[in-house]
Amino acid sequence: MTTVTGEAAFDLSLTEEQQLVQRTARGFAAERLLPRAAEFDQKGEVPTEIVRELGSLGFMGINIPDEWGGSGLDMVTYVLALEEINRACASTGVIMSSHVSLVCDPLLRFGSPEQKSRFLRPLASGEQLGCFALSEPGAGSDAAAMRSSARRDGDGWVLNGTKNFITNGARADVALVFAQTDPAQKHRGIAAFIVERGTPGFSVGKLEHKLGIRGSDTAQLIFQDCRVPDAHLLGAADEGFKIALATLDGGRISIAAQAVGIARACLEDSVGYAKEREAFGQRIGDFQAIQWMIADMATGIDAARLLTWRAAAMKDRGERYGPDAAMAKLFASDVVMKAARDCIQIFGGYGYLTDFPAERHYRDAKITEIYEGTSEIMKLVIAEDMLGE
Amino acid sequence: MKLLVCVKQVPDSTVRVKVAGDQKAIVPEGVTWAISPYDEYAIELALEHKDANPGTTVGVITVGPPRARDALRQALAMGCDDATLVTGADVETLGGLATARALAKVVDEVTPDLVLCGKQASDDDQGFVGQALAETLGWPHVAIVTKFVASDGGTEIWKEVEGGHEVWKASGPAVLTVQKSQKDPRYPSLPGIMKAKKKEIPEKDLASLGADLGGPSVEIRAMEPPPARKAGRVMKDGDPKALAAELAKLLRDEARVL
Repeated sequence: MTTVTGEAAFDLSLTEEQQLVQRTARGFAAERLLPRAAEFDQKGEVPTEIVRELGSLGFMGINIPDEWGGSGLDMVTYVLALEEINRACASTGVIMSSHVSLVCDPLLRFGSPEQKSRFLRPLASGEQLGCFALSEPGAGSDAAAMRSSARRDGDGWVLNGTKNFITNGARADVALVFAQTDPAQKHRGIAAFIVERGTPGFSVGKLEHKLGIRGSDTAQLIFQDCRVPDAHLLGAADEGFKIALATLDGGRISIAAQAVGIARACLEDSVGYAKEREAFGQRIGDFQAIQWMIADMATGIDAARLLTWRAAAMKDRGERYGPDAAMAKLFASDVVMKAARDCIQIFGGYGYLTDFPAERHYRDAKITEIYEGTSEIMKLVIAEDMLGE
Repeated sequence: MKLLVCVKQVPDSTVRVKVAGDQKAIVPEGVTWAISPYDEYAIELALEHKDANPGTTVGVITVGPPRARDALRQALAMGCDDATLVTGADVETLGGLATARALAKVVDEVTPDLVLCGKQASDDDQGFVGQALAETLGWPHVAIVTKFVASDGGTEIWKEVEGGHEVWKASGPAVLTVQKSQKDPRYPSLPGIMKAKKKEIPEKDLASLGADLGGPSVEIRAMEPPPARKAGRVMKDGDPKALAAELAKLLRDEARVL
């Protein structure tokens, strides 16, 4: 990481390997994802072979140390790769980031050596896919209100409840599941469990039909007297809520990177169209109305990217980065919403058609203001940091 | 088997090149550089051989400016074992023959069983260095290669010909110039990038190799960008039958494609 160290304390240049990873991600995205992104969106599925390819190239464990099957790169490199992947296909982007940030990351940080060996290694090497199961029908932003329960039973736990809005839920091999062990303890009663697909009592419920990121599956997960051994408890039984919050802090950086990636798609598609399309005898890019939209897009994207890089660099240096991640996500998701709206506007009527990518960017952009903490929750995190003790 | 792949760093195919003011070179600012595509196929062919024959080593070499180190790093990240950069003053204006002679000096030192080059570089499309290297070394050369396998003491080499391929046999060392093949070059894997980061890329001074860098040469007198494409024509108003007839007429008489 060369962003902010020692003498070159404000050097934003990328290292040779960061550039190489960026180029690899860009090449993969341009050749394997971009030509099929509209098809993945229409069919509602990113094919498993794409996820496998990402795994075999090392993207599914990009920032996990190689001793646990990962590629051993840093968070900054991870967001560089995510921007490229999301620029081509936001569905693929969220499949990757949910797996890496929300499953591999907490396993690395809170897992025992046995848990890392058994669960993290196949996940980080891309042989298996993970999902993060926190949200419930009645508990989104207010995660502590969850009703899923974990009851102590001999040397294990029995899970009951329903999780929803679970990205990768339908095809994940491993789920990180949060459940309440003692409602009287409120958030201190929440525990995190590693649950493998095929565990009796664990099933996948209905699949959601979504506005955007349609190529990634979003499923309901159902637990009915699902027994998991003590060895599958991640961290201590009272640490689940802490694990969830710490995990989401990291996840927010990846969603900020996703927003930057989608916004870049809006910008590049807009620029391409503005140079080509003619009206009133000239290219529409010659009109100031279009130029201003493009200038705003480019400026917003750069600012969002810098916030995202900074939060990632802070995480790499082991600093407290929660509010910075929240700022990056809040700002980047706002930038992409405006970029997507203007992108459709620049395309005019064609922007409203599914034959062009603008409407997909618009649909994909919206989720970045909602998942892994809504914009309102981001403001709450930032304001608490400003006003709190 | 010991393989050596010669690569050239060229402007990436997505870059819009601009001609410099003196009209003898392109403007280097803003150019993204990449391994020339046919050279990437040569790397892939060598690495496939290594995948199937674990004893194989694949070295990669380039004659170029310091920035060409990036191309070598990418080749290492793809899975090549070692890399060598030959560089020095005036390396960017070095002609094809001098480049081949410099490469030949390193080949003498490394003693590979086979040397692979792309069949031509995507910047000047000369298709010269591979052949000139074979000539300088006094080695046989097979062009437009899509596959090779080791076979009793030599190498069987698939050479693309119109509508099929010929299989040639080299009994000893040879230079192969590689064609695009069905298998696209692999992406560098991220663990591969981390491994490549730790590898040293030794540098050889062009002038100290002892190669004859003089001799017959060509120079670029002038470069000019291609003429701007004429705007297309849209025919949409009128009777479809008449439009179709008009279109056919234009395709025949004006575009001359019918």
